[in-house]
Amino acid sequence: MRRILVILLVMGLVCGAAFAATPVTINMFQLKVEIKDALDAYAAKYSATHPGVTVKVETLGGGADFGGALKAKIQAGQVPDIFVIEGMGQYNVFKDYIADLSDQPWVKDTDLAFMVNGKVYGFPVSIEGYGLAYNADILKKAGVDPAGLTTRAAYEKAFALIDSKKKELGLDAVVSMAASVSGGMWWVAAQHNLACYWGGGLPFDDTSVIKKALKGQLDDARFLQYAKYVQLLFKYADRNILLNGSYDNQVASFAQGKTAFLHQGNWVDPNLKQLGVTFKMGYAPHAFLDTPEKGLYLFAPSWYCVNPKSPNAAQAKAFLASIAMTPEGQDYMVNQAGMIPAFKSVKLQPKGQLSQALMAANARGGNYGVFFGMLPDGAGQNVFAPIYDLFAQNPDNIEQFISDMKKAVATLPTM
Amino acid sequence: MHRHSLTKALFVFPCVFAITMVILIPFFLGLYFSMTDWNGVSDSIKFVGFTNFEKILAQPGFIYSFLISVAYTVINVVLVNVVGFALALIVTSNLRFRNFYRAGFFVPYLIGGIVLGYIWQFLFNNSIPALGKILSIDALQTSMLSLSDSVIWAMSIVNTWQYAGYVMLIFIAAIQSVPSSVMEAAKVDGAGYFKRVFTILIPMMANSFTITLFLTLTTSFKQFDMNLTLTNGGPAARFLGQPVMASQLLAMDIFNTAKANRMAEAQAKAVILFVALVVVSLVQVSINKRKEVEQ
Repeated sequence: MRRILVILLVMGLVCGAAFAATPVTINMFQLKVEIKDALDAYAAKYSATHPGVTVKVETLGGGADFGGALKAKIQAGQVPDIFVIEGMGQYNVFKDYIADLSDQPWVKDTDLAFMVNGKVYGFPVSIEGYGLAYNADILKKAGVDPAGLTTRAAYEKAFALIDSKKKELGLDAVVSMAASVSGGMWWVAAQHNLACYWGGGLPFDDTSVIKKALKGQLDDARFLQYAKYVQLLFKYADRNILLNGSYDNQVASFAQGKTAFLHQGNWVDPNLKQLGVTFKMGYAPHAFLDTPEKGLYLFAPSWYCVNPKSPNAAQAKAFLASIAMTPEGQDYMVNQAGMIPAFKSVKLQPKGQLSQALMAANARGGNYGVFFGMLPDGAGQNVFAPIYDLFAQNPDNIEQFISDMKKAVATLPTM
Repeated sequence: MHRHSLTKALFVFPCVFAITMVILIPFFLGLYFSMTDWNGVSDSIKFVGFTNFEKILAQPGFIYSFLISVAYTVINVVLVNVVGFALALIVTSNLRFRNFYRAGFFVPYLIGGIVLGYIWQFLFNNSIPALGKILSIDALQTSMLSLSDSVIWAMSIVNTWQYAGYVMLIFIAAIQSVPSSVMEAAKVDGAGYFKRVFTILIPMMANSFTITLFLTLTTSFKQFDMNLTLTNGGPAARFLGQPVMASQLLAMDIFNTAKANRMAEAQAKAVILFVALVVVSLVQVSINKRKEVEQ
C-alpha cells in the first residue's frame, strides 16, 4: 500500500515537473513579406535565448489575402497568438480576439500605437511615410530649390519650369504617379494622396476633417484646394504610368531618371537600391494648400495584436516588448528588417535615403497624420478608386471630380 | 427484402453524405447568411431579411457589373463557338499537319487564367502600343485595357483565345461522328460546301452545341481569374451618373465586396448570380434540346 502511494507521489511529481517545463509555442501570423527573413531570424534568436519559449512566425502577404486567411484561421479555431491588423475596419472585425496592451512598457515610447477610446490595442510595426520624392540632381539642373516647394503655387511654377526643359533633362514627364485601377495602383491616389486632404496642414493627431467626412460632409474650400493639387499632379504625370502603369513601372521611371518626382513612400528604398540608383533624393511636402505646409505624412501601416484568449498571451506580450525595448530587437527592426522604428528611444539609422529623410522629418516634428485607416473597409478600393481613375482619364474636368467625391463622401455614413 | 434495402442505402450513403456536406449544407447556409448581417468572424449574427438584397439592387456598381457580365457572356458565347467551330472545320479537313494544329489550338486552354491574364496584360499594355509606335498607327498606341469601351472586347479576345481550342475538341468529336455517307450523298446531289455544313452537319451535331453553349455560357458568366489579373476591374467608367469599374464582372464584384468584410452583402450578390445562372442555363439547354435530331 505504501509502495503504491510512493509510486503515485513520484508519478505526480514527474507529471508536475513535466507540466512546468512544457515548452510554449507562440504562433505569429504576419503579412510583411519583405521582413520575413529578418523576423524569422529574430524569432529563432529569441527562442534560443528564452528556454521553453518557441516563436513560430508564419508570413502571408504580397498579393495574398491576409485578412481572408486570418478569418479562415479563426473560423478553424487556430487563432494566432500574435497577428496583424491594418486599421479600424479590421479592428472591428477581429476585436473579440484583440487584447488590451495599455500596460505594456513600450506604450509611452511611441506616438503611433493603435488606440481605441484611450486604450492601446496594437503594437506599431514600423513607421512608414511619404511626401513627394524628388531627384535632387534633376531639380538642381533645372534650377528648382526643393526647400521652396511648400505651397501649391510653388509646385505649379516648378512643374511648368521642369516641363519646359524636359528635352534637355532627358525626362518623359515631370511626375511619376500611378492612379489606375487596372494597374492595381488605385491606393497611391485613393488612399495615400487622399490622405493629404484628411490630415495635411493640421496637427499630427487632428482627425476633425475625416470625422466630418465620416458624417458625410466635405469641407468645400479645403477640398477645392486639394482637387487643384491632384489636377496639377495628374496633368504633369506620365500618361502611360498614370493610366496603366504598375508599381514597377512607376518606380522604374523615377529610378531611371525619366521623371523628376515620385509619388511613393519610403518603402521604395529597397526597390531603388535594386535598380542601382545613385542620385541624391529627398522628400518635398505634399503642399496642396495656399498656405505653406512643410511636414511629411507619417503613419504606422500595421499593428501587432495579441490574442487575449490564448494561454500564451503573456509570453506573446513579452516577445513584442523585446522587439521594442532590447538592443537585439531594435537591431532587428532597423538593421535587419530595414524599417523605421516607431519608438522614440531608438537611435539607430536606417540605410535608405528616403527612410533617412523620413526619420529626419520625424525628429524635426510638424508632420501630418495619415487617417485613411479610419474609413470603412473597402471605401478606398470600391468607392474612391474609380473616381480618381476617371479624373486621371480626364484631368480637365475638376468640377466632376469634386461632385463625384462629394457624393461618395455622403455615402460613407451608410457603409 | 429489408436487408436488401439496407444494402442499397449503404451503397448510396457515401454519395448522399458527400453531397450533403459539400453542396446542400453550404448552399442553404449561404442562403441564410445572405439574409443576415454577418461579417465573417463575429459570433453575433442577426437575421435581417431582404435588407442586403434591397441594398445591392440600389447600387449602380452592382447593376453595372451584372449588365457587363451579361454583355461579356453574349460576346463570348458567340465568339468562342464561332471560332471553335471554324477551327474544328479546318482541322477536320484534309489539311497537312492537322494533328499538330489540333494540339496547338488546344494548348492555351491548359494555361491557367491567372498566368494568361498577366501575359496578355503585358501584350496589351506594352507590346501592342510599342508596335503601334513603330508602325505609327494611332489606334494601336493606346492600350485597349485603358479605355472603358474596349476593355470588355480585350477580355473577350483573351477568353476566346483560351476556350476556342477546348470547344474545338468537342466539335471535332461531333463532326467525326456524323456518318460520311450522308455528307457524300449530299455532295453527289450537288450541295455546295457551306450548304452541306449548315443543312446537314450542324443539325446532325446539334447535341454538341447544347454542350458547348452551356459550357461557354456558364464559364463566361462566372469569369474571375483572368478578369482579376488582366484588368483588375479597371478602368473606371460612368454609369447612372456614378463612377463604376468598367470591367468588374459579377464574380469580381462579389470578391471585392467580401474583401471589404461585407460578407453577407457579398453572399446576397452570390445568390443573385446563382439564380441568374440557373435561369439562363435552363432556358438555353431546353431550347437547344428541342433542336437536336435523332440519328
